[in-house]
Amino acid sequence: MSGVGLRSRSSLVVSLLVPLGLIALTVAIGASGTPSLQSTVTMILCNLIVVLGLQVFIGNSGVYSFGQLGFASVGAYAAALLTLPAAFAALQTPGLPDLIATAQLGPLLSTLIAAAVCGLLAAVVGLPLMRTSTLAIPISTFAFLIVVYNVLANWDAVSGGSSGLVSVPRTTSIESAGLWAAAAVVVALAFKWSARGYRLQATREDEVAARSLGISVMGERLIAFALSGVLCGIGGALAVHQSGVLNPTTFYFAATVTTVTMLVLGGARSVFGAVLGAVAVASVNEVLRGVEDGAHLLGLLSIGRTPGLAAIGVGLILLATMIAMPSGLTGGREAGELSWFRRLPSPRVPAIRAARAIDYRIGGSIDQAADGVAGGSLQAEGVSVAFGGLQVLRGVDLKLPRGEALGLIGPNGAGKTTLVNVLSGFLAPDAGTVSLDDADVSGRSPTHLARAGLSRTFQAALPFPHLSGLESVAVGAMGVGVDRRRAVAVAAEVLTRLGMHEQAALPAGSLPPASQRLLGVARALATGPSYLLLDEPAAGLSELEGEELTSILRGVIEDFGCGILLIEHEMSVVMSLCPRVQVIDDGVTLRVGSPAEIQADPAVVEAYLGSSYLTAANA
Amino acid sequence: MTELAQNLIDALALGSLYALIALGVTVVYTVMGMMNFAHGEFIMLAAYALYVLAGLPFAAALAGALVTGILIAMVVERVAFRPVRKADLSAQLVTSLAVATILQNVVTGAVNARPQSVATPAAISESTELGAVSVPNLEFLTLGLTAVVLAGLGWLLYRTRAGLAMRAAAENFEMARLLGVRADRVIALSFAISGALAAAVGVLLVMQTGQVSPTMGLTPVLIGFVAVVIGGFGRMVGAVLGGLLLGIASSLLGAYLPADLLPFRDAIVFSLPVAILIFRPRGLLGAATGEARV
Repeated sequence: MSGVGLRSRSSLVVSLLVPLGLIALTVAIGASGTPSLQSTVTMILCNLIVVLGLQVFIGNSGVYSFGQLGFASVGAYAAALLTLPAAFAALQTPGLPDLIATAQLGPLLSTLIAAAVCGLLAAVVGLPLMRTSTLAIPISTFAFLIVVYNVLANWDAVSGGSSGLVSVPRTTSIESAGLWAAAAVVVALAFKWSARGYRLQATREDEVAARSLGISVMGERLIAFALSGVLCGIGGALAVHQSGVLNPTTFYFAATVTTVTMLVLGGARSVFGAVLGAVAVASVNEVLRGVEDGAHLLGLLSIGRTPGLAAIGVGLILLATMIAMPSGLTGGREAGELSWFRRLPSPRVPAIRAARAIDYRIGGSIDQAADGVAGGSLQAEGVSVAFGGLQVLRGVDLKLPRGEALGLIGPNGAGKTTLVNVLSGFLAPDAGTVSLDDADVSGRSPTHLARAGLSRTFQAALPFPHLSGLESVAVGAMGVGVDRRRAVAVAAEVLTRLGMHEQAALPAGSLPPASQRLLGVARALATGPSYLLLDEPAAGLSELEGEELTSILRGVIEDFGCGILLIEHEMSVVMSLCPRVQVIDDGVTLRVGSPAEIQADPAVVEAYLGSSYLTAANA
Repeated sequence: MTELAQNLIDALALGSLYALIALGVTVVYTVMGMMNFAHGEFIMLAAYALYVLAGLPFAAALAGALVTGILIAMVVERVAFRPVRKADLSAQLVTSLAVATILQNVVTGAVNARPQSVATPAAISESTELGAVSVPNLEFLTLGLTAVVLAGLGWLLYRTRAGLAMRAAAENFEMARLLGVRADRVIALSFAISGALAAAVGVLLVMQTGQVSPTMGLTPVLIGFVAVVIGGFGRMVGAVLGGLLLGIASSLLGAYLPADLLPFRDAIVFSLPVAILIFRPRGLLGAATGEARV
């Protein structure tokens, strides 16, 4: 393949080494200090792991969970109970099963078990929680945090109740915490840059567009939620083995606010941001906590005992960040993407030999779709849709064979987009069926249809603003299950074909509207569709760009025989690309025929084209 | 039978209190699209007004609490929330979390982290006999206050110009703006109402427990959130319904749960929304259309 990467090697190395270096520096400073500084720094590293756990879910999904500290709590209790000496256990937690009470595991094994327990719990709890809407997740996860707190605080026989546990072996050293934190950084970055991580980030950038690419929003969130649970559990387990004491409020509301502040200050989208934010907030916190007990500033100003000062400081940092720089200190970028390192080469998509055919047929389902039903078609029969009392579609039929372009035109409000929404699974019809290569797919999800070879674009460009052009298009292929390396190769070829390789390294959000729109087409093409539904792709393009788009689409049809349904108001594009045109008006099909027939039909002229068009066409 | 009647009245009173909390959260959510975590601190600060003004006649202290609730809500809106008005729901929620932390700890620093007791009129803690059922006067007060608030809010929303502007803003904020509704004013008004509702809840909580503490707003606001989620985001009626349901469930669980499960009542109550959301991801009265427009 072309050997294109999503980032240059040097950018990758910097992104990895800078956060690791920051951790190493923190460990070095802590290790050279007093025992009290050592335990403070160790605790900061444990918190850092929890913050990385938050980053994995919140940063990549863009959905705030306030329940992750519940996993830190569970992890801490699990690890503590597994290591508590039997005599202490009998005293503090008489109701504990003998197996656990007498178990006196080492720090490593107990941490690993705690991690597994939390991962499992997160997967089980996440199953219902991730089903709730994007709006409800922050609140339902908060409810989960309260449930964990309530259970731990009242299950006296097992958890020690609200007074908690003491005399837990203090085995976490500053070095071991540093190693775990480093491992957590690697895990978080590896996840972020995996196909799964990219699919999840796509849902953060635009949920609707992500679903159109075959991405299961709930599934991707659930995986990240579970991984986040594992990291939080590890952080909690290490923390309790540092402090030796634990109660239900250790990882509750205050800790949630602190860790979220750390993540937000650094920049939630960035793993480096999580590390930076954790270290920065913890440092401020320690200074303020020192001042809480009374202090003198420069010998001039003396401050009396002020409880709550550290928490006020954290609150103010969080508030200021949200108002002044919501993307955080890093702007959500990894170290290798920061402007300090702007000299690093950005990934380049070489202008590959004008490829004849893009090597799409990679994923299993795509293979099947391409070879299985050569003469297949996308068909709608008798589709009716009403929004409340408004009948938008009344029994519309449509047939889009492979290897053909069908134009769909009609006045505004005719029901064109609604029909595409039905065909692509975004809207269930009130009546009628949709079939894909003779298989009934009525009511199937967009995700399912995208994987079955049906892809679409939207009237709005719906870009993934924080992903680069190359990443945006690669996500298209990843969405239908293509592995990361192949996906990048496909994306590079698609972009080359659309003449967009120069813009591949730029964030999609920074591109001009016409390019964003074209990127939407590229993204849909990268899924390797058998059928491609384009909703006004030429809107906002210049005449020249429109012609280019037409020739690109013609090439797409010729090279790999996919069927294209084209909604377009730009008649020159429709008439030159589509041998057949379907006109709908007020929810019914007015006419299906060749461009010439359509233009000659008085009813069509009346309803849509307008007599001036007729005059112009005849002239 | 008597016991059942007794439990039902208790349940209804608790449900009313929760409905007041949920309404306070929803009034802001419908207009601004923001879940305000600091609502709990509005409740807490109004309660502290009673503590600070304890020397004054009770009616004056009550007025002080009301003014405190309204003022603090409007100040916080102006200082902290206006700058993030355009941010998404999560970012706004995090901002309000920051405000909540600040307010909580300012009170901790200024007064004390420990609960302080507040004297309330003796008549409040007495009960009235209705046949065989003995109803605490506080429950009458809660039920009565809720009824008055609901009627007043209904009047404001459906009978006044300001209410019309608020409803229009709740339907479509941008469109309402284009039609001449003043965004700043409508949002300030919704926060004032929210602050007044918080004050009512704060006063009721003080009468119930006889004390104030910096973290006393935490549980109420979470209850309000959960009630809003259950009822369906952004529906005033849904919020009232969600609050009532949550209060009734909590109260009846307290009455009928076996003794060894009783400590886990909150765990069960807070699991409720998840159970409901599995079957109705948009809440009980949430919009039927599940998908974003494409």
